[in-house]
Amino acid sequence: MIAFLILLLLICGAYCIVVTRSMIRAIIGIELLIKAVTLLIIAAGNMTGRTATAQSLAITIIIIEVVVAATAAGIALWVFKRTGTLDVRNLRNLKG
Amino acid sequence: MPSLMILIPLFGVIILNLVFAVNSRMKKAAFWLALAIFSLQVVVAVFHHPALWNDSLGRIDSFLNVSFFVDHLSFIMFICIGMVSIASLFVARYGMKDEDDIFKFINLLIMASIGMSGIVMVKDIFSLYVFMEITAVSSFLLIAFPRSLESLEGSFKYLILSSIATVLMLTSIGILFLAAGGTDFDAIAAAIGASYENALVLAAIGLFICGLFIKGGLVPFHGWLPDAYTAAPAPVSVLLAGVVTKSAGIYTMIRITTSLLPHYQSVNNILMLVGTISIFAGALAAIGQDNFKRMLAYSSISQMGYIILGLGTGTILGIAGAVFHLLNHSIFKSLLFVNSAAVEKEIGTSDMNRMGGISQKMPVTGTTSVIAFLSTCGIPPLSGFWSKVIIVIALWQAGQYAYASLAIIASIITLAYFLSMQRRVFFGKLRAGLENLKDAEGGVLTVSVVLAALTIGIGIFFPFVFNTLILPVKEILVR
Repeated sequence: MIAFLILLLLICGAYCIVVTRSMIRAIIGIELLIKAVTLLIIAAGNMTGRTATAQSLAITIIIIEVVVAATAAGIALWVFKRTGTLDVRNLRNLKG
Repeated sequence: MPSLMILIPLFGVIILNLVFAVNSRMKKAAFWLALAIFSLQVVVAVFHHPALWNDSLGRIDSFLNVSFFVDHLSFIMFICIGMVSIASLFVARYGMKDEDDIFKFINLLIMASIGMSGIVMVKDIFSLYVFMEITAVSSFLLIAFPRSLESLEGSFKYLILSSIATVLMLTSIGILFLAAGGTDFDAIAAAIGASYENALVLAAIGLFICGLFIKGGLVPFHGWLPDAYTAAPAPVSVLLAGVVTKSAGIYTMIRITTSLLPHYQSVNNILMLVGTISIFAGALAAIGQDNFKRMLAYSSISQMGYIILGLGTGTILGIAGAVFHLLNHSIFKSLLFVNSAAVEKEIGTSDMNRMGGISQKMPVTGTTSVIAFLSTCGIPPLSGFWSKVIIVIALWQAGQYAYASLAIIASIITLAYFLSMQRRVFFGKLRAGLENLKDAEGGVLTVSVVLAALTIGIGIFFPFVFNTLILPVKEILVR
């Protein structure tokens, strides 16, 4: 059951990143993927009987992920200020 | 004591923001504080007296609940991190004129160096992830520093790919946690040794290595690297090319393959294959570039390939060669990026079609960049020659004749793109409109000269450097 949930979250996140053209949705996709992994670590802790370790690992992941999400949102905000949209198709200036 | 390598810069950042942020004169002094921190790091790593490293800090360590360890590989990485951070600091002071910008930059630079120092000291796969994220987040912010559309684009691409690498590695950590019941390197190595052929464990190893390939910018996963290097402001390019990808990708790969997976020949085969593809793809892509920094970025990918190729042999000589090339590459590639920063600042562009003959007007920059490029191509007696020769000999001894020949052939392509770069940028007739060009400031020139001197010095005193600094690294194999 838990494996199914993890897999579902992973597929949702990956689909979200691949399909979307909006920066915010890409960030949400990343968040979904990391949520899936957090769930995996909690499940692993539950199965091996090390819930305390798994708990501390999960909390650490959540903290770090918030920092990454905030940074990503900040970058998206500045792109919005510069171009007026959040479309990733605007981010095609670097080539070669 | 190893935890001081984290604690001193951390308190440095706190002091920086409590004491030095009050007025503009103090903000100028922040440069010297950062310089002192990085110099201290280089000095204690070069004279690594055992008494300094073996004691723990007792109460502080037990309060923080950390357990770091250092070996000779960590010392080499400390030297690289400190040296490249100093170079980046000088380039920042030269390139940025606004004091507030420099102050913010110094904060982020110290944070990034804390993350990298952590990466090279951990003995726990989860702490490795934590420090990698500290480095990565500081790098995102540093790349996006000018807040121009290009830099935001480069930063966002890096962020997305780095997050995907994080997800891959965390999945792998979760599976290994399930198999080993802990996240210690020792526990995981024992679990991997016990469940040798388990499909889940093999998948975890594969995912982790893919994550490291993304972080290190090796070829199937290199999409973010040229964009990030090109879009980043000059001092950040120095830092990224010099140490960030090396400590987050390559160092970790060396550590993981030697301490967790010593018996997987298939991993070594994958490393050698990816290394060779990176060498060729990076070098061939570098030939076609018009942008100075972008060409250097592709050249970086190509040189990373050599390191991974050496690592893939799995022998002591191969790993020593890989570590030696890592050290040399972080010296001469930061030198090239410092030079590109000087050229970009004086001319106002990094488009190679608008340069030409600037050696006449910028003699120091021109000369040092010739030294760096000869070293990259592997011309004796410069440092790059020795590390490449060691890698090729290690490949030959391991019976990988095809890979050894390919590594030599790729050197010729390296020579091709660097000669083309030198001709278009530094040699030849001075391009019209550049008559009033002058060389960079004293600080940057000093950094260039010191890095060039190191390149020559390591090459000439090769036996001494190799025996005292590089060869002790073999202890990571017999641990």
